[in-house]
Amino acid sequence: MLHIEHLMVKFGGLTALQDFSLKMGIHEIIGLVGPNGAGKTTLFNAISGLVKPSGGRVSFNSTDILKKPMYARARMGIGRTFQVPQPMSELTVKENLLVSQRFGTGKVDEKKINEILAFLNLSRKAGYNAAMELSLSELRALEVGKALATNPRLLLLDEVLAGLEASEKRILMGTLTDLHEKYGIGFLIIEHDIETISSLCKRVCVLNFGELIADGTPQEVFRNPTVVKSYIGSSHA
Amino acid sequence: MKIRIVLPLLVVLYVIVPVLWGGDKYVLSLLVASFTIAGVALAWALLGNLGGMVSFGHAAFFGVGSYTSALLSMKLGLPIFLCILMGGVGATLISTTVLPALRLRGPFFALAILAYSQIFRILATELEGITGGAGGLSSIPVLPKVLGYDFSSKLGGYFVAITIVLFFTWIYHLIRRSYYGIALRAMQESEDATRVVGVNSTLLKAAMLFISAFMTGIFGAFNSHYINFLEPDYAFHSDWTILPVVAAIFGGYRSLTGPLVGAVAIYLIDQSIFKNLIPSGHQFILGALLGAMVLFSPDGLEPFISKKLRWGKRAAH
Repeated sequence: MLHIEHLMVKFGGLTALQDFSLKMGIHEIIGLVGPNGAGKTTLFNAISGLVKPSGGRVSFNSTDILKKPMYARARMGIGRTFQVPQPMSELTVKENLLVSQRFGTGKVDEKKINEILAFLNLSRKAGYNAAMELSLSELRALEVGKALATNPRLLLLDEVLAGLEASEKRILMGTLTDLHEKYGIGFLIIEHDIETISSLCKRVCVLNFGELIADGTPQEVFRNPTVVKSYIGSSHA
Repeated sequence: MKIRIVLPLLVVLYVIVPVLWGGDKYVLSLLVASFTIAGVALAWALLGNLGGMVSFGHAAFFGVGSYTSALLSMKLGLPIFLCILMGGVGATLISTTVLPALRLRGPFFALAILAYSQIFRILATELEGITGGAGGLSSIPVLPKVLGYDFSSKLGGYFVAITIVLFFTWIYHLIRRSYYGIALRAMQESEDATRVVGVNSTLLKAAMLFISAFMTGIFGAFNSHYINFLEPDYAFHSDWTILPVVAAIFGGYRSLTGPLVGAVAIYLIDQSIFKNLIPSGHQFILGALLGAMVLFSPDGLEPFISKKLRWGKRAAH
């Protein structure tokens, strides 16, 4: 579904992503881990169209997407969430979803919106202002909701679980698993917590200094000495 | 818009005002001028409110609209109302040259469009063969007779002006409450958040620029057939930018009716009171009024009045 070849992103003299390649099948959940500054969010930005790569190819369902603007990629079925939630701050929770659906899919289906609201436990907050009246976990849920409303085939989740309480985390994780099973949406998930990643994903990719240093099952990857070294430092390896 | 507000307003504008002042040329010309400014103020507020752009260049759209319509009617003899429509189209066409400035935000866009608007005044002055240069155009055809009614009279001009203003207010209202309007509202604070869900934000902003330019051009075109005379320094005068801006902010540019209320209030007060008190330089009072308004009711006159009305109702209960 998603095919990335030799992707390179540079900011001035800094190389944020170097020769990154990844083949992601339909219906896959891939965890993306790596220390801060490893290039995880940059990868999401390159896939969703927020930054322009300096080299490489990204194709989605065999269409080259790098030339396409951000909104067009969203309409093709690439949804994403932001690490720092970016609600449409002037609007209510429901309007956020309606706008996402109207422009992401081209039509409005209120039944589906209500379904998403219920699914994410946001029904009670439908009429609330999205920027002022939501808790962190609700903002995170809204991020997922906006992306869902665009009817995505691939969802890029940037630390949607970070900073949540254990119980909130469990609920949102359950929701994600349900989504995956119910709608067959593929996930690429950035997450720091190794336990979370291990329970959600069958495949994990590790980035360090903009390079892919490991790709495999959680068991393989988290025992890989290079990965452990990049995470904890050499003396523990 | 609620029918119990709209209906009385229509009655006042189409029946009561003509009955009371239909024969008074002075009052009618004041009203027509204030509605012309109201129209530009509305177009300006649409761009600011929905497109998130502050424009200091609407005089360019106004001037191009007036010249386009005047020239088409004089040189090609096209029907006047068609010419007015083409005036709007002309203004829209030249607004495409501002498109590169759309990536600028806030004050940067304002400055870019201010500089840009000068180009067209200079062009109108220099292209003497077409525009008559600094000497301008005179005997521009008057508004025509339609179905036996002569629109060239002051009262006819008044009816045309309010009809266009009301029509554009309705269009503005429709855009604002559509999904495009909601997306535009969202774009101002969180543009990336809208793009990532599939909103073509650049196209939407450009569309608001086109609509705003079109509306402004229509009023410029109307004005040229109403006063029958044009010269570059008049048609592109900075007043066509500044008065609407002052009117819109004074009346409340965030509300639908604010620019209209503001334009009528500002222009009538200025012309009937301040101009008599201080014949030259009376505009400085407008500046002071605007300053006071921003201090006491930043959202302008219209929300201020509605709030007072609501308080009044609550007190009565």
